Amino acid sequence: MRWRIIPIRASDAYFNMAIDQAVSESVHAKTSDPTIRFYTWTPSAVSIGCFQSMADEVNVGRCMELGVDHIRRITGGGAVYHDSEGEITYSVIAPEPLLPKGIRESYKFICEWIIKGLAELKIAAEFQPINDIAVHGKKISGNAQTRRNGVVLQHGTILYRTDLNRMFSLLNISKEKISDKMIKSAEERVTSISACCEASMEEAYNALLKGFTDGKDFYFGSFEDDEIKRAEELKSTLYSTREWNFSR
Amino acid sequence: MEGSARYKVPGGKLVSIKLEYDTSIKKVMILGDFFIYPESALDEIEECLVATGVDKSETEIANKINYVVTSSGIRLIGVTPDAIAKAIKMAVK
Repeated sequence: MRWRIIPIRASDAYFNMAIDQAVSESVHAKTSDPTIRFYTWTPSAVSIGCFQSMADEVNVGRCMELGVDHIRRITGGGAVYHDSEGEITYSVIAPEPLLPKGIRESYKFICEWIIKGLAELKIAAEFQPINDIAVHGKKISGNAQTRRNGVVLQHGTILYRTDLNRMFSLLNISKEKISDKMIKSAEERVTSISACCEASMEEAYNALLKGFTDGKDFYFGSFEDDEIKRAEELKSTLYSTREWNFSR
Repeated sequence: MEGSARYKVPGGKLVSIKLEYDTSIKKVMILGDFFIYPESALDEIEECLVATGVDKSETEIANKINYVVTSSGIRLIGVTPDAIAKAIKMAVK
């Protein structure tokens, strides 16, 4: 089975989530090969898990002030701040038989590709069940997966550089907690590629690309016109709508 | 009446409950950073809890959830029927 690799590109939150669904549909219809895509978020965005409440988790007013998008994912998991220059995101979209049957096992399986990429940068990372990757106990990557119509969609983020103050101003954490103590505590729990080594964003991306493609039969491709058309439709009818984003 | 509660599942994720009830549950919303497959099954779990007496024990509520989870082949990751039941009891003032 050949994998289609779609090189890193920046898009807004609504397109990023819509194209994941559009590609899942085309992989299900067998009109596209299993796909690995890399992307960043421009403008910066906050995404929440599909079972979370936007109003509870996100400071929507602050997002609007700063021009930060806010979106509900179709995957579970927690709220994430996606800084436009602070992380690399990936999606793996493949028929279920290509990945371990068990959900927990398939998280680990795909996370090993990230760990391999980080090893290229001499960063010793390890899988932290259920869905995280950590370096010396500090989280560097969070991941979320859904399975629909026999297709696995796993997306996740690898932190390149973190801005904890900005993150805390966008996620709803009670004011008492936004203290120096809280920031210090988060610094003790979260790390990033730039905190571990001097790699540029491009070097970090190339290392991750190697980790994801090592040992695979692959080619570099792009989205099909039909996928982009479907993504634009999903963006306007679902992912950018208040009904979806504030449904809980 | 309305009630809410947040419960961190040991070794798992956070589950948050928003409840409308009198002697029984009128409406329940289960929120959190857990995973449920398929995702649409959360509606099924919420629906099975409507009309459940708030005097039911944690075990009775968990059994009700467990029945739906097992019979519909729902997979829960980072949350359990017991944890949801515990958070519901916490949300009842």
